Amino acid sequence: MTQMAQVNNQRSDQARNSPVIGPDYGSRWLADFHQAAAAAFDRIGYPDADDEQWRFINLSPIRKTTFHPAVEPGHVPPQELAKLSLADRGFYELVFVDGMFSPAHSHTGDLADKIELCRFKDAAGKDAQRISPYLGQELSALSNGFAALNSAGFADGLFLNVPAGVAVGRPIHILWLTTRHSRPVVVFPRLSVNACDHAQATVLQTFASLDSDQPVLTNAAVEVVSGRESQLELITVEREASHAFHVTNQAVRVHTGARLQTLTFNSGALLVRNNLHVQLAEPFAQATINGLTISSGHQHVDNHTTLDHARENCPSHELYKSLLAGNAGGVFRGKILVRPDAQKTDSKQTSKTMLLSDDAVMNSQPQLEIYANDVKCTHGSTTGPIDDEQLFYLRSRGVSAVKARSLLTYAFAGDVLNRVLNPVTREFLSELTSDCLHRMHIDAVGS
Amino acid sequence: MALLEVKNLHATVQGREILKGIDLTINPGEVHAIMGPNGSGKSTLASVLAGRENYEVTNGSAIFNGKEILHMSPDERACEGLFLAFQYPVEIPGVSTSYFLKAAVNAIRKYRGEPELDAMDFLKLIKEKMKLLEMDQSFMNRSINEGFSGGEKKRNEIFQMTVLDPKLCILDETDSGLDIDALKIVSQGVNALRNSTRGILLVTHYQRLLNYIVPDFVHVLRDGKIIKSGDKSLALELEARGYGWLENAA
Ligand SMILES: Nc1ncnc2c1ncn2[C@@H]1O[C@H](COP(=O)(O)OP(=O)(O)OP(=O)(O)O)[C@@H](O)[C@H]1O
Ligand SMILES: [Mg+2]
Repeated sequence: MTQMAQVNNQRSDQARNSPVIGPDYGSRWLADFHQAAAAAFDRIGYPDADDEQWRFINLSPIRKTTFHPAVEPGHVPPQELAKLSLADRGFYELVFVDGMFSPAHSHTGDLADKIELCRFKDAAGKDAQRISPYLGQELSALSNGFAALNSAGFADGLFLNVPAGVAVGRPIHILWLTTRHSRPVVVFPRLSVNACDHAQATVLQTFASLDSDQPVLTNAAVEVVSGRESQLELITVEREASHAFHVTNQAVRVHTGARLQTLTFNSGALLVRNNLHVQLAEPFAQATINGLTISSGHQHVDNHTTLDHARENCPSHELYKSLLAGNAGGVFRGKILVRPDAQKTDSKQTSKTMLLSDDAVMNSQPQLEIYANDVKCTHGSTTGPIDDEQLFYLRSRGVSAVKARSLLTYAFAGDVLNRVLNPVTREFLSELTSDCLHRMHIDAVGS
Repeated sequence: MALLEVKNLHATVQGREILKGIDLTINPGEVHAIMGPNGSGKSTLASVLAGRENYEVTNGSAIFNGKEILHMSPDERACEGLFLAFQYPVEIPGVSTSYFLKAAVNAIRKYRGEPELDAMDFLKLIKEKMKLLEMDQSFMNRSINEGFSGGEKKRNEIFQMTVLDPKLCILDETDSGLDIDALKIVSQGVNALRNSTRGILLVTHYQRLLNYIVPDFVHVLRDGKIIKSGDKSLALELEARGYGWLENAA
């Protein structure tokens, strides 16, 4: 047995309420990092029901379940991987199975010639010095219990360093796949991206899980630095199976002249909470943060975003759209923080929701905190059903109800998809969206 | 057999009765015009025939091609060969005209048991029809009616009608909003569709349209009922005298 398995066995013996401690692979630094985070969790715990930031999400299914860390990477049926792989579309692909990097499933091509790739499992060796300055730096902006649990518990993860002036070219796909288990499992995906000055990259993360009757908790943490004049596009695709609970804490710092663009795409899991914190840390940094949620059944997706304007002359643009069917619930909380130094801030926030059933519910609220006087901040939110006039128009020309609904919902989503910068990624997300919508409308007609 | 036979049709919207017993028979090859004051129920009749959901049919029947259509979905009626050109065509941002129209053409072809058109055949078909209606090809790549002028929207309706090749064309005030040249072009488009099997129902306020598309019958709808029917000379008489004199006749 490897050292890894022993460590994990120790972990699972640690029982219920104390945090899972991830393996340290013999690195003192990593052991300390995990321990400090565990201690932090012991202090802050899970968010309380009366915590304003967590008021609209019911965490009790997570708190009531005893999740075990995945002991060893499970079996990945090739046909399941094929459904999730983007390698054929020209992506570099890095696959993690149950939280552990799996070189055998990955397609890295010449990626290692262009950028620096370090896995956290190698932190005991030479990579510790590379990783340690970054790990935990940005995440301090999101000091909640889940972030602490991730820091305490991750078993592996990735540090990507895109060197100055390097344009990666092909998009990078990081797939976090959780396999089938016989008891509830928790995984702690962990990613750190450092785009140096003038670097350019597109990084798409997929969260997926194989269908199972056991719950899965995916507790992810992502830290990103966008160096000066860099261009970074970060896409997150949540497509886990219906037994999954998902929390992502993502923190990004954007420097002068950099252009950051994000898209958080949600179609999977039962309960999703995304915390996205973007700090425009220097003058003339730009951020565009978009979201697209397609939910049905009893899914609940809670998007909390913060655009932190720390310095002057930064534009930010935010568009979050949701399509909710069945009994789905959606939450959008978009905070715009304009600090005293952030004069000439130009920020626009929009949240739009299409409700496809009478039982779907959206809760959308902007939250503006402005401490500078020369700023432009606009926000708008709309929630409503599909347009009957448009539906009738399409159907009166022979188009079926399902097809007409697909066309109209796709047009609604298209507004977000069209903004995706990387063409290959845009094409993939467009296809994924039409698949999701088609399935949703077929289900609606069937019920 | 009649193409469309409407009998004693009653319909309400939000509990208010708008159609109060309509009888109307359209035979293959005939062109009928319906005129009548604002609010008399002309668009309601057109919508009820096309299957709009917020109208409730409380009595009567509508047999189209030998089939009762009042229980059919709007798309089924379209597949059966009914077409409504809207008085106010809606804008649909994000849905391209070409994508939508191809979906419509193929839905109808599938219903009829005909093979679906591929991209090439479809392009050929629409190019031909666009020429007929003197439309710019760029329309096809734009979202449905988005940013179209009033006249362009109407022309787009007739264009779609010629592409879908329906058995019964219902035109709700297609003439309003068209300039003189556009009226001629649109009328030519409609006249090109006239043949011995197709039926056309024109809703209009103005005799002028009927100079271009000469009707076989003219009906006056008032307060939810057809109160007078005649030939094309009735339209001329209405133009000269208005609707007031019919009060006594009814
Ligand atoms: N969806 C609706 N909700 C409420 N009232 C309606 C609705 N549709 C029609 N009506 C009412 O029904 C009556 C008939 O309307 P309709 O549009 O059929 O008239 P019309 O003859 O087409 O008039 P116009 O010549 O102005 O186009 C009007 O009083 C109108 O207000
Ligand atoms: Mg009308």
